[in-house]
Amino acid sequence: MTESLSNQSPVRAMIVRAWREPLVHFLLIGALLFVGILAARSLQRPVVRIDAQELGQLAGYWSTQMQRDPTNEELQGIIHERVDEEVLAREALSLGLDKDDMIVRRRLAQKMTFASEDTANLPEPDAATLMAFFEKTKADYQAPPRVTFRHQFFNSDRGKDQALARANAALGKVSSGQGTSLGEPFLLPLGYSDASLIDLNKDYGQDFAGALLTAPLNQWSGPIASAYGFHLIKVDSRVSAKTPTLDEARSDVLSAYQEQARKARNAAFLDGLRKKYRVEISGIPQTVLK
Amino acid sequence: MGYRWRTTAGSLTALAVVLAAFPGSTAGSGSALTGPSAAKAAVGAKKVTPPSRLPGYNTERNAYFGDLHVHTKLSFDAYIFNVRASPDDAYRFAKGETLGHSSGFNIRLSGGPLDFVAVTDHSEYIGALQEAADTNSPLNKLPIVDGLFSTNPVNIGAAFSRIIEAMGNNTLPKEFSDKRIASKAWKEIRDSAERHNDPGRFTTFVGYEFTSAPDGRNLHRNVIFKNAKVPELPYSAVQSQDPENLWLQMETWRKAGVEALAIPHNMNGSDGLMYEQTRRDGRAMDKAYADLRMRNEPLAEMTQIKGTSETHPSLSPNDEWANFEIMESYIGRAKAITKFSGGYVRDALKAGILMQDNKGFNPFKFGFIGASDTHNAAPGSVEDRNYFSKVGRTDGMPERRGSIPAEGRKTWDVATPDPNGNLGRFQSWGASGLAGVWAEENSRDAIYTAMRRKETFATSGPRMRVRFFAAYDYPQNILKRSDLVTVAYRNGVPMGGDLMPSKGKAPQFILWAMRDPNSGYLQRAQIVKGWVQNGVAKEAVFDVACSDNLAVNPATGRCPDNGAMVDLSTCEPMRYKGDAEMRTLWRDPTFKPNQRAFYYARVLENPSCRWSTWDAIRNGTPPNPTLLPTIQERVWSSPIWYAPSL
Repeated sequence: MTESLSNQSPVRAMIVRAWREPLVHFLLIGALLFVGILAARSLQRPVVRIDAQELGQLAGYWSTQMQRDPTNEELQGIIHERVDEEVLAREALSLGLDKDDMIVRRRLAQKMTFASEDTANLPEPDAATLMAFFEKTKADYQAPPRVTFRHQFFNSDRGKDQALARANAALGKVSSGQGTSLGEPFLLPLGYSDASLIDLNKDYGQDFAGALLTAPLNQWSGPIASAYGFHLIKVDSRVSAKTPTLDEARSDVLSAYQEQARKARNAAFLDGLRKKYRVEISGIPQTVLK
Repeated sequence: MGYRWRTTAGSLTALAVVLAAFPGSTAGSGSALTGPSAAKAAVGAKKVTPPSRLPGYNTERNAYFGDLHVHTKLSFDAYIFNVRASPDDAYRFAKGETLGHSSGFNIRLSGGPLDFVAVTDHSEYIGALQEAADTNSPLNKLPIVDGLFSTNPVNIGAAFSRIIEAMGNNTLPKEFSDKRIASKAWKEIRDSAERHNDPGRFTTFVGYEFTSAPDGRNLHRNVIFKNAKVPELPYSAVQSQDPENLWLQMETWRKAGVEALAIPHNMNGSDGLMYEQTRRDGRAMDKAYADLRMRNEPLAEMTQIKGTSETHPSLSPNDEWANFEIMESYIGRAKAITKFSGGYVRDALKAGILMQDNKGFNPFKFGFIGASDTHNAAPGSVEDRNYFSKVGRTDGMPERRGSIPAEGRKTWDVATPDPNGNLGRFQSWGASGLAGVWAEENSRDAIYTAMRRKETFATSGPRMRVRFFAAYDYPQNILKRSDLVTVAYRNGVPMGGDLMPSKGKAPQFILWAMRDPNSGYLQRAQIVKGWVQNGVAKEAVFDVACSDNLAVNPATGRCPDNGAMVDLSTCEPMRYKGDAEMRTLWRDPTFKPNQRAFYYARVLENPSCRWSTWDAIRNGTPPNPTLLPTIQERVWSSPIWYAPSL
């Protein structure tokens, strides 16, 4: 051993000596710490991760646009672009660039609305709930009055008074049983069975439709003015406006119930949100007030 | 009126009516009467077997009004125009309910509910834009939609152009045609039509638009299905831009029991392509082609908001009323049309009879309907006094469609800049296009069958009714007979029909029109004739009935001016001008038995304010001096054809 010690080169001796030096210990430890911290920092950097699925999707879009698959180089470019987009977006967020940006705000609000809106069908209401809803909205399901009647037409394009006179003369005749149809040809039907007052309103005007509701039954009466001329009318039967029972209107009532339930739910959600905030509006600009 | 009318089981029982002679009524008096005792007995009955005939059933047919061209948010472009209304909303609007417009006001039909409607969203990328607006969807990240969902109109416009262009040359990303998206939308359309179909009251059809436009030249057509039996997915222009392939697909469907017809529209935007005289692939037409086309396209939507395609002033220089709501631009962009022949129905009908003479077949033997083409989910919104145009927020406000001066100005001294020509296009659009059909009852079967036999008419919006029949021997007194319609059918053919060859006599035409009670009075009734003479197709317009006791001037063939006017400061028409009804029997004085011909009726109202004038009055500014202040609303019947031999 001594032999070997005595054979030591001066350099080696120096290293050995330095190894024992506390200053060197200090420097070495410092360097290690430095490298360690660097490594730790690098591990702590936020990660931009693009998984195989997203990469596949991106490459897919590229292919549909270009009508071929990207080369490796082009794939690198796609990745690059995606990474840039991500880091730019994150930097923008960290700088608060999303604040006071109408586009960003609208998109977020839209996403939130979408996420909160219940698009699935709501559970069926129980019998009592549906009945209560129906009682409240009954008027919506009312069926219009319906009329069964015939009429005779007298065109007034060539003079109102003459048409009225013809109609009155005809009324006298049909009332006393002389002849049945003394009117003129008419482009719309001359008789209606169980016709809805809504349709008659639309086709003849309100005066005519209204007269059908009050005219005496089973006898000719008139003349009544319409949008076309004068008419004699004979009402055979009338069914007044009718409100159906829940059973008769069930499917309509159910869909109306669900529609309003969905709306109510969405409104309640927004209401709840609004309550979490205090709204302050600091004046309305002059330009809006005019 | 505060409440909505609904179908209920109670009213359904009333449908159980049987056809019976009404006591005391004259046989065949044009009456729609069905047995009242049966109707009464049925009311209150709990259960009835499905009725074979609906209320209002009329063997002599009723006029029903509808709209078979309606877009909702499921159409890619409507969604871009900020329209968020659904097919359900569209049907509700048609039934008279109020709907919110994307520009923030309420809209409602002032003329009352329609009788039938089909929602016909663009089948290309159906539902895809709604999907693309969802940031969770991969579609949202496609570069092509970049800016589309922003609030910046310039970016939206740029994205829209990009998408239209990509659609045109078929380079839209595949994601847009994702089958799952399309299936979901198609299901919504089918379900909605099913929900709202209410026989006897309101008829719906499942339909879609086949949106083909080679080089931007419009070949769009709507496909309307007879009933709920429809294909799994529409056949769209993504599969082929060639309409012939659509018809072949329809033939395949038909063999599988799926019955449909296609209705082309906006021939005016096709730059002559709609009625080109070769097949789309350049091959010559033949009889098989003509049969295929007519089997699948018996009708043409010849008027709609994007202009009326009856005829162009340059094609019909002798028709003083040819200049009606003419649009001379491509669809969706301000590129000028250069070729009018091939883009208008009268011209095509003429080309058709000429081809029949020369080659033995006629690929252009179609009837007429009108439709709105609303992209606001607002069927029937073609009322001049109640107009909000048709592409959502893009033209929802008067300023956006150029009917009032820009930026709150009170005069037209300063020209409004129109860099992309949109304003000019919107100004040239008309509040026009409604379908009329003569059908026994308001049901899918009856209305579809009427469309098949072309017993249809088109109006510029008002619900005017027109009857049109032809025969060789109508009784002299027919116009005064109470069985007019019975005899008209029995002895002749209605609109859409074919006259038998003449045995020497000239045909007679019954033209009978009735005003819309909510619109103006009638001014004149006309018959438009096209015929082949010495190998050349010709046309003429005959006035056949005049209002206000006036008579046709034999020298000019025209009614004298009835003096009807409109007060342009209120849009109030002059009172006591025009007729409620026009009824005439006309024998063609120029008829030659050896000349092939067609005839259709056109009836004009008195002048009334155009939508642009209504907009200006409401705004308190003068009407745009570059636009016509008034129009004459009108109705067109489908043609009746005459062939010299069978």
